Amino acid sequence: MRFWNAVAAVTLKDLRTELRGRELLPALAQFIVLALVISNFAFDMTPGITVHLSPGVLWLVLTFAGLVAFGRTFAAEKESGSLEAMLLTPAGPSAVFAGKALAAAVFLACCEAVLLPALAVVLGSPIDAQVVASVLLATVGMAALGSLFAALAAQTRARELLLPVLALPLWIPFVVVGGRAVQAAMAGQPIGGQGLFHQPLAVLLDFDILFLVVASLAARFVLED
Amino acid sequence: MSDNDLAENRRLYVLSGLALAAMAVASWFIFVYAPQDALQGPVQRIFYLHVSSAIAAFACFAVVVGGSVAYLWRESAAGDRLGRAAAHTGLVFTTVCFLMGVIWAKPIWNWNPLDTWDARLTSTAALWVIYSAYLLVRRFAPSGRIAARLAAVVGIIGFVDIPVVYFSVEWWRTLHPGPTLTSLSGPQMPAPMVWAFLVTQAAVFFLAYVLVRIRYRLEQRKDEREAREVAAQLLPAREAR
Amino acid sequence: MKAVSARGLVQRFGATVALGPLDLELDGGERLAVLGGNGAGKTTLLRLLATAARPAAGRLELWGLDAVRHRERLRTRIGYLGHQLGLYPALSAAENLQFFATLYGLGRTEAAEALELAGLAAVATRRAGELSRGQLQRLGLARAVVHRPELLVLDEPDASLDAEGRALLARIAEGRTLVLATHDLVLARRICGRALLLRGGRAAGDPWRFRILEAEG
Repeated sequence: MRFWNAVAAVTLKDLRTELRGRELLPALAQFIVLALVISNFAFDMTPGITVHLSPGVLWLVLTFAGLVAFGRTFAAEKESGSLEAMLLTPAGPSAVFAGKALAAAVFLACCEAVLLPALAVVLGSPIDAQVVASVLLATVGMAALGSLFAALAAQTRARELLLPVLALPLWIPFVVVGGRAVQAAMAGQPIGGQGLFHQPLAVLLDFDILFLVVASLAARFVLED
Repeated sequence: MSDNDLAENRRLYVLSGLALAAMAVASWFIFVYAPQDALQGPVQRIFYLHVSSAIAAFACFAVVVGGSVAYLWRESAAGDRLGRAAAHTGLVFTTVCFLMGVIWAKPIWNWNPLDTWDARLTSTAALWVIYSAYLLVRRFAPSGRIAARLAAVVGIIGFVDIPVVYFSVEWWRTLHPGPTLTSLSGPQMPAPMVWAFLVTQAAVFFLAYVLVRIRYRLEQRKDEREAREVAAQLLPAREAR
Repeated sequence: MKAVSARGLVQRFGATVALGPLDLELDGGERLAVLGGNGAGKTTLLRLLATAARPAAGRLELWGLDAVRHRERLRTRIGYLGHQLGLYPALSAAENLQFFATLYGLGRTEAAEALELAGLAAVATRRAGELSRGQLQRLGLARAVVHRPELLVLDEPDASLDAEGRALLARIAEGRTLVLATHDLVLARRICGRALLLRGGRAAGDPWRFRILEAEG
């Protein structure tokens, strides 16, 4: 009970800070829209190829927005000394980590709330429940891993460099499976069929569970001396 | 240098010589003993080194995990050194595997790896990046202890990626050949090819063992030097008292 | 039982020894000033005492408990304020304290009391980012004592303290074991009964008792 109180306190603190300061999300929203506009020109989008390219654009933008979002959450706390202040309370590193990861997941979900409609407007991609579900499922695991590595990178001298190097390879499973799911959904492929679609969602859920467990076990070693 | 050190150095020279000899034997098996592949011609001979170095790389990364667990669990300095040594060696073999694969794939599938990133290649590339990061983290972390701890976390989590390697092959069903040696209906290769492969694999494993051991020795000497420096700084105070 | 008992305490970063070997004993309620130039090892020592870092060698016991093995339990009894205040500029003074009180498993009353103690009740709803430097420093002190620790570890808290802040410092030190790192000898004499001078990570002069107090009265 005490654990979850601490988790909730950390998450709410992060959300409240962002709500007050409004630093991260507006910048990320702009980044997302700009990335979409650029990809529109870069790929010379025509209706025929949009279906093939927009899942890729979606994951590319989401991945890089995630790197920015996660990188900031721990870096700022490390610099201001508040990370250490939190860790020296009896709440414990796992609760602090879980709270920050949860907040990071919410931030990424906010990015998606901008990204998906923007994708529909700028590239005209069809967005349906399946697309939303697979993106949200991927968010959970990506946030767990991303926060873990953001916490790890914040302890080093080269966090901007290390975070992408650490997080991107481990995000690949999410991008591969989630990308497949979004592709299938956008191409309007039959949902039952050969189980092509239901499978990826289940697999994403498996990945989520796997990496949530791994990240929460590792958090103690990353945060505590 | 103590007698022990000299003895260990001598052992390492002998082992290196043996590893070279083993690789020479393996090349005889690859180029002379093994028959020419009917379809692919001489280029198929790359297979022996390509696959065996991939397996050796995986084995090295498994050793990194072992060392990392030992470090996180017991703060074992030896475990940490073993992790460092095996990560270096694993990266070497992953690189060899990549180079061999690119040379092999080019004439066979007219395959440019840069525009057909298949699943196993992608995942192996991911492993390469993760274990480079394992070494990078050490370079950028503040002190020896924190560096070892953070790297151990990366080493273990990176290995969780390996099952995903095989899984993603299943998922994407790409043009990469499936298992050739261990399918249920028994080996599909002629016996001499199997022998050539097994000999190469044994030689590569031995080479990996020797490389890890040399690297371990290097890391050990680095640690010993650090310990001496620390001891030198601690000593005067004790004398003064 | 000694509140603090360190034997052969050593901290090193890579091949560089930052502190020690150092022996130190403090009775409950004793107040120690840690003096010394930059890089003398003051912060390193304080971080060890606050269980923010683990020693590379030696033994540190707080109230007879091993500081590494029992750190979770000990942390409820230790208050630490480092160089950085560890506050959130976007949150109000009261919210900052409430947040940390929650992490200690405490409620609003304790947070409000700490705010009162620091003389910040008037600016409770003001964002920390809008407070003056001195007020911020006092808020940091309030954060360090929100859970009423028995041992207070303060790393140069006087950097920008006004007269009010110094009075607060003396007030919260009352009845607590205190370890205070400072460059300010006047402050050290006013608050602390003993002093330890560090040089190059070691206790300079007599490492056991280096008194500077007596004369002033």
